[in-house]
Amino acid sequence: MPIVLEHVSHLYRSGPVTTTALEDISLTINDGELLALIGHTGSGKSTLAQHLNGLLEPSSGRVLLDGQDINQKGASRRALRFQVGLVFQYPEHQLFEETVYKDIAFGPKNMGLDAAETDRRVRAAMEMVGLPFDEMQSRSPFELSGGQMRRAALAGVLAMQPRVLVLDEPTAGLDPSARDYLLGDVKRLNAQGTTVVLISHAMDEVARLATRVAVLERGKLVMEGPTREIFTQQERLSAMGLDIPETYKLAARLKEAGLDLHGHYAMEELADELAGAIKGGGGDAA
Amino acid sequence: MLRDITLGQYYPVDSVVHRLDPRAKIILAFLYIIAVFMVPSLWFYLPVFAYLVLATLLAKLPPGMMLRSLKPMRIILVITFILNLFFASGTTPLIKIGSVVIWQEGFMNALVFTFRLVFLVTGSSILTLTTSPVTLTDGLERLASPLKIIKFPAHEMAMMMTIALRFIPTLVEEADKIMKAQTARGADFETGNLMARARAMIPLLVPLFISAFRRAGDLAMAMEARCYRGGEGRTRLHKLQFHLRDLLAFLSMLLLYLVILLPGWIW
Repeated sequence: MPIVLEHVSHLYRSGPVTTTALEDISLTINDGELLALIGHTGSGKSTLAQHLNGLLEPSSGRVLLDGQDINQKGASRRALRFQVGLVFQYPEHQLFEETVYKDIAFGPKNMGLDAAETDRRVRAAMEMVGLPFDEMQSRSPFELSGGQMRRAALAGVLAMQPRVLVLDEPTAGLDPSARDYLLGDVKRLNAQGTTVVLISHAMDEVARLATRVAVLERGKLVMEGPTREIFTQQERLSAMGLDIPETYKLAARLKEAGLDLHGHYAMEELADELAGAIKGGGGDAA
Repeated sequence: MLRDITLGQYYPVDSVVHRLDPRAKIILAFLYIIAVFMVPSLWFYLPVFAYLVLATLLAKLPPGMMLRSLKPMRIILVITFILNLFFASGTTPLIKIGSVVIWQEGFMNALVFTFRLVFLVTGSSILTLTTSPVTLTDGLERLASPLKIIKFPAHEMAMMMTIALRFIPTLVEEADKIMKAQTARGADFETGNLMARARAMIPLLVPLFISAFRRAGDLAMAMEARCYRGGEGRTRLHKLQFHLRDLLAFLSMLLLYLVILLPGWIW
C-alpha cells in the first residue's frame, strides 16, 4: 500500500508571476521504508511533503494512496490525513491547548475516537516520544523546554497512529541531545512498521537513518536511490550545493590515499574497517 | 489558503510617479480627492479622467490593475447608482414603467455619484500603487512632524505603522502554516455552523498570538541592541527632498483645478 506520485507538478501563482514549485515528479514511497528527501532550500521539499496528505493539490499529475487518487472527487481528505501524518517544521509553534494531554488529544478527538481510545493513544504517543505521562500530562505545553515541546507536538501527530509519517526538518533548531532523542524516536517508529518520509538538511542524520534518498533540485527529482548510491556521488551533490555525510567524506579521502574500505560508510562499519586496516598492518594504506 | 490576501498593493516599477516625494504624493492625493468632490457636473469628469489616465501612464501601471482596485467596491457602486436613480425626483421624466418614474435629473445624479466613487477609489489607489508602505509612512511622519509641538508622537506613530506593515505578510504566512498544521491533525475550518467555526479558530489563533508576541519581544530586543531610543536626534538614511518633478506635479494639479472651477467662476 505505497504512496505513488505520478508526474506531479505544482505551480504557485503570486500576482503576475507563476513559479514552478514541482515539475513532473514521479516517486513511489514503499511501505515500511525510511525515505529521506534532500535538496537545497526552495527546492520543493516542503511543497512535495504537503502533497502527500492532500494539503496541496497537484496542478497536474496524481497522488495515489493504495491505488486511489487522493484528490479525486468524493475522496475524504480528512480520512487521508489521519493515515498520512505530517509534522511541519517547528511543530511546537502549533501547540495551543491548556495542557499537554489536551493538545495531543486534539488529533484523536478530530478522528471521532471515544474517550477511552483517545486516552490510550495519548498515553502511547507520550510514551513513544519519551514524555513521562504522569508528570507531563497536566502541564501547560508552553512551560516545556524546546526539545520537550517538539516531542509533545510530534506526539500530537503520532496519537493519530498514521501509517505514514512525514517529518519536515524535525531536528532543526534542537540541541544535540534533543536531536538524538528525536531521531531515536523516528528510528523506533520505523522499526515498528511506520513508513517515514524524512526531510532534512543534516546529511549525517540522513546517512544514519534513511534506507533510500531522493534529491530535489529546483522542483525536479534529480536523483533517487539507496542511501549509499546517492552519497557516493559526491561530485554531483556538490554541484548542487549539497553536502555529503562526514563518514562518506572520510571514506572518500581515505580512498584517495589508497585505502579501499569496500563500500562501508555507516559509522560503525567504517570504524570496524578502519580498525581492521590499522591492525592488519596498514600496508595497503601507505 | 490565505495567499490571496495582499495588503499594501505596491506595484514595484521605476517611474517618475514612483519617484515623486511621498509628501508631495500624499498632499496631491488629498487635493485630487477634494477636486473630485468639487466637480460640478458630469462633463467635468472628463478632465479628471484625463488626469487619471495621464498619471496611470506616467506611473507605468497596467490599466487592468487600476480596474481591479474597483472590484471590492462593485456592490457599493451598484447600490449607489440604483438608489440615486430611483429615489431622486425631478422635472423631466426619462422612462416611465408603471408607477415608477425615472427622472432625467435622477439619472444624471446617479452617474455623478457613481463616477465620484470610481474616481475616488482609482485615484487614491495610484498613491498606494506607486509608493511603498515604508516610503508612505516616511512621508506621513514628515508631514505630521509639525504636530510634535503639541506633543503628537509623529515618529512613534510612523515607526509603529512601519512595523505593523512589515509584519503583516509574515503573520499571514504564519497563519497559513499553522492552519495547514492543524488541518493535518484533522482540524476543520470550513464546515459547521458559526459557533463551530468560531471554536475551530482557537487552534489557529492561540499559536498565532503566541508567535506574534514572541516576534514582538525579539524585535524589541533587536532594536534595543542597536540602541534605538525613539525619534529624538535620529538622522535619516534617505533624506526626503523636493525636486522639480514635485513642483511640476503640483502645477498639473493646479491646472486640473482651473479646468474644473474656472467655467463656474466665469459664468
